[in-house]
Amino acid sequence: MTQTSIGPAVRRTIFDAFVFAYVAFALYALATNPTEEMLLDLERNAALAGSLALVGAAASLAFNKSGCRTLGEVLFAPAHKRQAAGEPKAWFKTFWGQQAVVTTLVTLVAGLIVTEFSLVALLDRERISQASKLLGQLFNPGWAILPTVVLHMVQTVYMAFVATAIAVPIAFALSFLSAKNIMRSSAAGLATYTILRVIFNVSRSIEPIIWAIIFALWVGFGPFAGMLALMIQSIASLAKQYSEYVEGVDEGPIEGIRSTGATMLQTVWFAIVPQVTLPYISYTIYRWDTNVRMATIIGFVGGGGIGKLLIEYQLQGAWPEVGCILLVVAFVVWVMDAFSAYVREAIK
Amino acid sequence: MSARVSNPETILSVRDLEKTYPNGVRALKGVSFDVKRGEFLVIIGLSGSGKSTMLRCLNRLHDPTGGRILFKGRDVTGIEGQGVLELRSRIGMIFQHFNLIPRHTVIGNVLSGALSRTSTLKSVLGLWSREDREKAMRYLRLVGIGDKAYYRAAQLSGGQQQRVAIARALTQSPDVLLADEPVASLDPATCHTVMDYLKKVNQELGLTIICNLHFLSLVRQYATRVIALKGGEVVYEGDPNSIDDAWFQRIYGEGAKEVHIN
Repeated sequence: MTQTSIGPAVRRTIFDAFVFAYVAFALYALATNPTEEMLLDLERNAALAGSLALVGAAASLAFNKSGCRTLGEVLFAPAHKRQAAGEPKAWFKTFWGQQAVVTTLVTLVAGLIVTEFSLVALLDRERISQASKLLGQLFNPGWAILPTVVLHMVQTVYMAFVATAIAVPIAFALSFLSAKNIMRSSAAGLATYTILRVIFNVSRSIEPIIWAIIFALWVGFGPFAGMLALMIQSIASLAKQYSEYVEGVDEGPIEGIRSTGATMLQTVWFAIVPQVTLPYISYTIYRWDTNVRMATIIGFVGGGGIGKLLIEYQLQGAWPEVGCILLVVAFVVWVMDAFSAYVREAIK
Repeated sequence: MSARVSNPETILSVRDLEKTYPNGVRALKGVSFDVKRGEFLVIIGLSGSGKSTMLRCLNRLHDPTGGRILFKGRDVTGIEGQGVLELRSRIGMIFQHFNLIPRHTVIGNVLSGALSRTSTLKSVLGLWSREDREKAMRYLRLVGIGDKAYYRAAQLSGGQQQRVAIARALTQSPDVLLADEPVASLDPATCHTVMDYLKKVNQELGLTIICNLHFLSLVRQYATRVIALKGGEVVYEGDPNSIDDAWFQRIYGEGAKEVHIN
């Protein structure tokens, strides 16, 4: 049995309603060129979008009933209804094809306006020369500060390493508690599973840069705050990935170990752990590598390490020094990436 | 029937056993039979007849939804927690797909038969008792692969892996050995080797065996008694050699032809 409780017809209607409301609203905004005051009137806009969605839903039902397949129908129709009635048409001659083209075009036009796309600014001669001067300075690095840069880079790599090292045992323990195949046997287990999954998803969706700000206020600016931020992110991310490996294990060995009269912990250790060790190691190395890259950004907001140095020189406009830092960061990231790929290939 | 429950020779009694899965499938519809100490009892039947469910109810890998199971005279149908673990430690089991830990060594796999009498901490640290180590090695020799002790289980052939599984079950020092289609994923030649080891264990160690099988020719060769399941009910019980064509058709359905394994 599938887990989806919403029928395909409902999903189709919701999708069509959303797309219609979006296109109609964007066209309306493009046509009337509204003032900022109008754009900020959330209540009025929400009401407008809501009623447009209702119109869209009605239109979706009407079109599909009359045999004209909408985009939502094409996307969500169950497999047995996929056979098109009658002669197949080229996709751009179908209703859903045209619907897709109109939606894409409207999005592109609206997008160019919203991002203030300007060919004039892009091709302005004076501005080009300013930017190229900056680029020139960046590519003419100030090697004098190299020893300081290396020192800060070492700090960053250690930040990433300690964050990963602390996160691994915690995530390891949590991964079994958040694996559905282990926890589904009892109501308490299922509750634990659900709560942990929610916590992981929430803490993963908060960017480490936000965690860094929180921890900088808590423990003071510096590498410790940065390390804590990376650690929180790593625990959630490792635990989620680990638990997916646990959910993918072969059930046979579990049954084999259970049949000997082994306890729950023994079953996990003997039947599951041997199956997940290699993928765990592989993903952990990848995570360390990711943490080194993130540690750079985290330094920007008071997390210490190379990021702190980078933001200091950037605020002074010391572009050759910034160039030196960027090159060192690029080099270390490249080495880490190659190292992690090499190790992961070797243990596969 | 009830007189036989008190018979000292009876090691396992199954009474009106029912199993209905959460999805509504009734796998067992009131199955009753007795198992005598030292028997080689074979359960036959088509796929889906309830054979595997039957075995898994006996060591409570599945929980029956009705009826009773008496193990050595004690009702084990309602036991929970530690009681279930103790029951399982008394009942060894081998499986169609061997269910070994492929990355562990052969001896490591066999030693996991001693898990129930080793504390969790000691077993995690690999601190098996000297007795258990000796016992594991002895049973590995008994099934003829003592020289493979330090290979990884995954390096062994199917027949050898099933023998490792037998050694693992023996290391539990069980009263009963359950075998769920032990040769269904092996080639015909290897099939007889594994069955011969089961017979050896049955005769030399006096271990009671309950075995699910597909092939009637194997049944006649190895079983001391046979039970046939069809649609979750016992349709035949008795001597393997008295299953004639009429019975065969009744168990396996009209038009079924017997296949011989030599």
